[in-house]
Amino acid sequence: MKRNTMSYKIQQYVMFAGPATLLFLAVVVVPLIYGLYLTFTSWDGVSTQRPFMGAANYIAAFKDAAFWQALGRTFIYSAIAVVMVNVVAFFLAYLVTSGIKGQNFFRAGFFIPNLIGGIVLGYVWQFVFNRAITAIGRSLSISSLSIPWLSTPNGAMACLIIVSVWQYAGYMMLIYVAGFMSVSKSLMEAAQIDGCTKAQATWNVTIPLMRSSFVQCLFLSITRCFMVYDVNLSLTKGEPFGSSVMAAMHVYNQAFTYRNYGTGQAEALILFLVCAIVGVTQVYIGKKGEVEA
Amino acid sequence: MKKRISLAMAAVMASSALAVSAPVMAEENVTITIFNSKMEIQTVLEEKAAEYAAEKGVGVEVYYSNDTVAAHMGTRYASNDPYTLSMVDAKDIYSLGPDHAIDMSDQDWVKDTVHAIEVDGKVLGFPVCVEARGIIYNKDAIEAITGTEFVPTDYATLDAFKGLLDELVAGGMTTPVGIMKEDWSLAGHFLPEVYEEQEDVDAFITSLHEGTADLINNAKFNAKMDTFDVLMANNYAKDYAIAAERNVTEQMLAEGQIAFMFGGNWDWSVINQYDYSENMGMMPVPQNTEDGTNAKLEGGGSKYFFIDSSDNTSDAQRQAAKDFLNWLVYDEAGQSFVVNDCALVPAFSNNTLEVSDPLGQSVKAYSDAGNLIPNYNYLPDDHYSRCGASFQKYLAGQIDRAGFAAEIEAYWASTTPVEH
Repeated sequence: MKRNTMSYKIQQYVMFAGPATLLFLAVVVVPLIYGLYLTFTSWDGVSTQRPFMGAANYIAAFKDAAFWQALGRTFIYSAIAVVMVNVVAFFLAYLVTSGIKGQNFFRAGFFIPNLIGGIVLGYVWQFVFNRAITAIGRSLSISSLSIPWLSTPNGAMACLIIVSVWQYAGYMMLIYVAGFMSVSKSLMEAAQIDGCTKAQATWNVTIPLMRSSFVQCLFLSITRCFMVYDVNLSLTKGEPFGSSVMAAMHVYNQAFTYRNYGTGQAEALILFLVCAIVGVTQVYIGKKGEVEA
Repeated sequence: MKKRISLAMAAVMASSALAVSAPVMAEENVTITIFNSKMEIQTVLEEKAAEYAAEKGVGVEVYYSNDTVAAHMGTRYASNDPYTLSMVDAKDIYSLGPDHAIDMSDQDWVKDTVHAIEVDGKVLGFPVCVEARGIIYNKDAIEAITGTEFVPTDYATLDAFKGLLDELVAGGMTTPVGIMKEDWSLAGHFLPEVYEEQEDVDAFITSLHEGTADLINNAKFNAKMDTFDVLMANNYAKDYAIAAERNVTEQMLAEGQIAFMFGGNWDWSVINQYDYSENMGMMPVPQNTEDGTNAKLEGGGSKYFFIDSSDNTSDAQRQAAKDFLNWLVYDEAGQSFVVNDCALVPAFSNNTLEVSDPLGQSVKAYSDAGNLIPNYNYLPDDHYSRCGASFQKYLAGQIDRAGFAAEIEAYWASTTPVEH
């Protein structure tokens, strides 16, 4: 059997990667191209007519102040949430690899929030913010706690960030744990023999070697935060007065609730590009400085 | 050997990826699909549909979705998989009907209702029930404090209503009102009353579009907002109005901790979850006016069935769907299903069964007496959410009445009129 003929290669490819390619085409590539086509029509989502509009939807998207506000809001939310998720996750990982008693139990415990779906999680936390915290606030007569945080724009944003951190920190922690474990103990010992304190050794030896974990975690948390929808929907629903509508929710509303499918799709494409650019840049910068032991 | 195994594996993967369930088409048995958009009747509708199916020998499948109706219809039509019979809101009949609904003008029930929706001379929407908006009151809670019988018509004016609220406050109910902060309640139900009570509704909407309405000097707008201010001042959740939860508010109303809430007869499905008081009902929104609007509820037909006209639905299915609608109107079991099982107010005059819930009874009384101000069904799709956000700002004290009026005017100026 010749292994370098074209037909052999194609055969091998179809056999092993064919099904995956088919699925990828069917659920990613085709909808993307079809969606791109829809951005040039003024389809309302249900009509049988799809009048061609040219670039009108893109112009509408650029003129849609609410969309840019939502996008700006998503940037702020993502910036704060990503930093906090990673800081919290890193310290959790540090704790549960430092050999404290019952560390496997803690690992499982911190990971569990990630197993609860975003919708459920939003409702659970809504209860916590609206009822539990206010009840505590009232019984202790602390005025800042007795009014639900979800009723003010900044408070709603803070609540979203808190819930996101709680949800994602456990997941990112696992990646950091793997990073910690992959750094050989001998390097740490060598550094300590050379006179490093434990903190110095962590800072100068372990963390640089874990760079790939940081790159991964940042990438995952950035993309997830940019595309946040489920928690947004069930926790705040965009309220109060539309001040917590994130980009993804605005796109959904534009396309399905306000029935401007083309404009919504155009905005979705812009969101995708923004997200892709941020994500790829971050990975590129992160990978460039990776070191190996 | 290895090659064979890998081939087999690839075949399994491919077949699982490509497996499409081939539809089994039975010749005799017609199955219709029904989309229900009234969440509170889903369980009983499923039960009755099963009974109906067994009796009539047609398959009936009932579906429900948490999505907004328009969004859900959008996905079903986009995937060429429409329901035979879809229950949607009035505005959806206008937007979907001309493309996707069959003409039902030839049906008997058309003559027995005033609520069917006609577009371009064709009857496209079958009214499921009558619903109306107003102030829900808890009579027991009021009488427990005042000691005299509560007659809602005595409090048609805001002055009289305010007097009663003050009496309740003095009597120990410090905050007699609940306000739902949901955008659909504020801007989908309360704000449209400002439009619907204008002398010429269409002309008023046109003036809003053209920017000539001058809302802040509009008598009706001010009368309604005066009432809303009084409600706000007596709101049990005054300090956190924007975070008040619907369930909590309705529970307090049901149990008599508060006495009034703006809402509609659909709220009964929430109220009856709690330990509700015996005597409750609905009254018009009090208002200082002499145009008679403070003696009427606002509403009319609510939720409409339409039958799909596309090639995805067979004529036999369409006939079965028509039969089902006729069953709802003319069969005793169907009538009883609407009134007793679903606790809806029937939209057909031949259905004379006694409505079971107190809010529905109020609505039926106003409806039978011709005291319903009709819904304005041509609001743009984003009206409730955009204006709702403005209304929530007003409710939270972030903007004053002039600011609120300006935001509403800005909204209307930015939208295109809905053709009708």
